[in-house]
Amino acid sequence: MNGTSTYAGYGRIILVAAAFLLCWELAGRVPVSGVRVFPPISRIAMDYLVSWDVYLNHVSETIRTAGLGLLIGSVAAAVAALVFCFLPSVERLFQGVNITLFSIPTVAIGPLLVLILGGSWPQIVLAAIMVYFPTMAAILVGLRDIDPRHVDIVRAYGGGSFSVLRFVRLRSAVPGILAGLRVAASLSVLGAILGEFGSGERWGLGTFLLGSLGQSNAERLWGISIAAAAVALAGYGFFALLGKLTASTVQVTMAASRVPEQMSWSAGRGKLSNIAMIAGSVALPFAIWSGGLWILGLSSIVAPGPLDIVSYLFVSPESADNLVRLLSALGQTLPLAALGVVLGLLAAFVLAALSVVSPGMLKIVLPISMVLQSTPLVALTPIILLLLGRDILASMAMAVIVVFFPAFLLLVHGFSLVPRAALETVKVYGGSRLQQLRLISIPHSLDYVFAAAKLVAPRALLGVMVAEWLLTGTGIGNLMDVSRGAFDYGMVWSCAVVSILVSVLAYHLITVTERRFR
Amino acid sequence: MNMLAKISNVVGSQASPANAGLVVTNVSKTFSVTAQSRMEPLQALKNVDLFCPQGSLTALIGPSGCGKSTLLRTIADLETPDSGEITICGESIRKILTRGELGIAFQDPGLLPWRTVRENIALPIQVLKRPVGEASAHINTLISLVGLAGFENALPAQLSGGMRQRVAIARALVTRPSLLLLDEPFGALDQILRRTMNLELQRIWMGDVTTAVLVTHGIDEAVFLADQIAVMHGKPGRITTIINVPFERPRPESLFSAPEFHRLCDEVAQHLHH
Repeated sequence: MNGTSTYAGYGRIILVAAAFLLCWELAGRVPVSGVRVFPPISRIAMDYLVSWDVYLNHVSETIRTAGLGLLIGSVAAAVAALVFCFLPSVERLFQGVNITLFSIPTVAIGPLLVLILGGSWPQIVLAAIMVYFPTMAAILVGLRDIDPRHVDIVRAYGGGSFSVLRFVRLRSAVPGILAGLRVAASLSVLGAILGEFGSGERWGLGTFLLGSLGQSNAERLWGISIAAAAVALAGYGFFALLGKLTASTVQVTMAASRVPEQMSWSAGRGKLSNIAMIAGSVALPFAIWSGGLWILGLSSIVAPGPLDIVSYLFVSPESADNLVRLLSALGQTLPLAALGVVLGLLAAFVLAALSVVSPGMLKIVLPISMVLQSTPLVALTPIILLLLGRDILASMAMAVIVVFFPAFLLLVHGFSLVPRAALETVKVYGGSRLQQLRLISIPHSLDYVFAAAKLVAPRALLGVMVAEWLLTGTGIGNLMDVSRGAFDYGMVWSCAVVSILVSVLAYHLITVTERRFR
Repeated sequence: MNMLAKISNVVGSQASPANAGLVVTNVSKTFSVTAQSRMEPLQALKNVDLFCPQGSLTALIGPSGCGKSTLLRTIADLETPDSGEITICGESIRKILTRGELGIAFQDPGLLPWRTVRENIALPIQVLKRPVGEASAHINTLISLVGLAGFENALPAQLSGGMRQRVAIARALVTRPSLLLLDEPFGALDQILRRTMNLELQRIWMGDVTTAVLVTHGIDEAVFLADQIAVMHGKPGRITTIINVPFERPRPESLFSAPEFHRLCDEVAQHLHH
């Protein structure tokens, strides 16, 4: 994106935002809806003024934990990327761990971290986990995707792989690292808030939100939403400024969904070593799980290992009852998440395709989507509560919204990469824009549809679980929360494990479908 | 020895180890194609012999895919030959390389986009872990030699294609190489710019005479610049003819329109197309 179009983009954002705020203020003045759903913007501003010290305490705590999480997560990501870059077999071994960390529904492991760690560490670790994968993927792509001619030059002067790293790879990776951090910064805020939900800490936007959900104070809920979004966007903006001249976010989100595919399980030399690799990569997350518990020396009642969970669900006297409770909760959650993925993707696809047919629309929708994509999804929870209440529609909306924005951005990017010569070939024979879309653009951007599906499937589950926990009181999100209150830690861990497994499974299902399609 | 005697007849200079700039002996290279495709393994080079006297400029010419670039990359140790031997002044390429006595420029200048002209030219010095400060004067000389004085601190994106190519050539010369390898350094330039660059390359090379190998597609470029032209053919890649170029140096631009120049170009073309 060059300078002028960026400024034009900012101009549009400001214009649209101003119009939006005006409509909002007017809607807020309408007696019935105004009080309960859309408080006028002036009343929200009033709430900030009156309770500024409360907001400040909560916001600064969230910034602190998110910042620490960002630091830890990105350092871990950098170390991992360097190791993977030089030792591809280690990367293959860690593939299971990487995909798990990518698709982990963070809200599910928050309560586990609270059991293991104290103070604000659960939030920090959760933020770090959310930061790790996109940053690692961005750095790894940056280190790997280098110009082979640059390598030739360094090697022609006797330089080894260390010289290539020093003179070429590290510097080439900088734009990717900055773009990765941009995405990671807003994710770290989401992680910190999700962690605060279960932590029982006094301060933090998550605590603030949880405490305010019960009161029917619309100004407060909107105030928290806006504050959370502002913190996330500030982090995004900080790194966007740093990397102003560098690659776009969309490329990084693409990288995030592309990297695990590159290290595909079917790619390998010998069949036997390949199978060993797959087995190792599947076993490693479980090994880390039980090894970690052993090192921490936790009691198996609070922190059960893989075998304890198997026993809890299949062997122990109450196992049948446990399994039924888990499966029925899963039965409530999964259809919603799946429907959310389908509807969100469909909407994103239709809108992206429409924007090919009438490019003018894109100029308005794109900046809004960019902003909303980096807004933490929990910031949406109060707004959804106010608009849709606490029933199934709320979970549904959460899933669709969480899916729509990243998918839309990715698809628009995919459509924009269609070679012009191909489009013009259709045009030369008198083809319409619709024919261009059908014959060229859609087939050409299928890659991006699958990339988007992989990216959003775990997010949809996360979105539904957050809604269940905070709003609807159904499904697996709620079961976790209830079990935690009842000290039924086996169930808390089972919920977490099952939701991780479902996410990883969805990821692979999409990968397999994609292969058959080609 | 038989091979050396044969080439010495063609080149017309005394081919003996004493003035051997670059000797390629019986080099073969096969690329095994990836496992999925059912293509035959590609024999890129088969029993290639080449003798370049010290301080001479040899042009490698041939159709696309005949193995010219592979031969050059093999000489530079960027590819490992399956068999055969390559020596420079009687030493292995590895020794030459680690002493920084190899200079190389590719069809694409391959400049690091985040480095200035001066920093790009200094890159080989840094890779060789030598102090850049000591080479400072030499770098200045090179920058003016390639006509880029005043552009020391420009980034590659701020330069034209011809200027970038000249930076790449200056970079190739910065270590005072005893062997200079140029892989179609002007391939991406238009005809007019190319001719200017040919004259400049001759000037630069004559100012700092080293053994040089130039891969090119252009017959006139080869005839204008080279002391000897090695014609290559593909499938499998091999050198089929070596043609001696007798013109005096420095060669003026008017040589491009001289009848004897065109006669030699025709001869090269016949060897290429037969």
